[in-house]
Amino acid sequence: GACRVSMSMAEIRAGFTAIKANIQSRDPIRTLSVLSHPHSLHKVKSSDRCCITHHLFTFYVDRVFKHCKTEDSFVNRKISSIANSFLSIRRKLGQCREQNNCVCGEESTEKFKQILANYEGLNVTSAAMKSLGELDILLDWMEKSH
Amino acid sequence: SGELYCSLPNPRNVHFESINMQNVLHWSPPEGTGKGVLYKVKYSVYGVGKWIRKPECRNINRTWCDLSSETSDYEEQYYASVKAFLNGMCSDWMETTRFNPLTDTKIDPPMISVSSTDKSISIILTAPEKWKRSPDKESVSLLQVYPGLQYNVSVLNKKTKKRWFFSISNNTLVVPWLEPGTAYCVSAQIHVTTPLLDSGFSKEHCISTLKDK
Repeated sequence: GACRVSMSMAEIRAGFTAIKANIQSRDPIRTLSVLSHPHSLHKVKSSDRCCITHHLFTFYVDRVFKHCKTEDSFVNRKISSIANSFLSIRRKLGQCREQNNCVCGEESTEKFKQILANYEGLNVTSAAMKSLGELDILLDWMEKSH
Repeated sequence: SGELYCSLPNPRNVHFESINMQNVLHWSPPEGTGKGVLYKVKYSVYGVGKWIRKPECRNINRTWCDLSSETSDYEEQYYASVKAFLNGMCSDWMETTRFNPLTDTKIDPPMISVSSTDKSISIILTAPEKWKRSPDKESVSLLQVYPGLQYNVSVLNKKTKKRWFFSISNNTLVVPWLEPGTAYCVSAQIHVTTPLLDSGFSKEHCISTLKDK
């Protein structure tokens, strides 16, 4: 069956919009992207979407949010609120995986490897801040394709 | 590239202004420079390595540049930059923040057409079109860009000043059980939940229900 997960997209979106300018201003590297180049998320086949989504939520929970502490308490609060939403969605996606409703094919694994390679091409803090600044790329793709 | 000595004050407030994804770069002149300043513009796709010059905005004296063609792919994000020149001197390149056409555009109100019977009015709403390069190009409705697009509709009884609000996803609305021979005014707004985008309310369209037979 299909993997159906309820998500508070509007809430996540609002949280990110509130800190977008702040976070993106901390990422001076215009010529590299973690999520969108060289391969765009928008080219992912529908059959791979669930798996890529699960990979990405795991990636953000395990490798992004924890490296994004700032000196601004407002920004930090918004980041932890987004992180909590991601944690709960990741758990639901994990249940889908266990019930075999979120199968990972070769293409999604390959796509995710590219994302990790982009991330690992930078030092951890820069990579995490860049990834957080690209959250709207993930949200745009999810809203368009899900 | 034989850059001149850049001690001219910088262009200020370099930013995109976008309506229905017509994406125009705007800026303010450098402080205290008066007339004669010329500008050039470049842009880049976020995540891609190179800046691209905009020939139509080279040595211009206006303080805007339409980059709609260059930023029409709303699955990408962009930066743009402006440099000023005056009397052999130049400024630094001044950049925008990261521009996401999908979330950073403003949406015009919907177009409305209304008709009436004696006891009801019918409202047809049309979402604006995404900006397009030329009239002969294929039109793309913003409904296709924002699948979750909805309409908030306000209906006012001009006699009793009573107002109703409706929130609908499809583009037609029939308001029944109205008073014959009465003027009603309709206004509508576009609402996109995520990303959160609201148009203003449209101009009011007034119509009278037919008199009782």
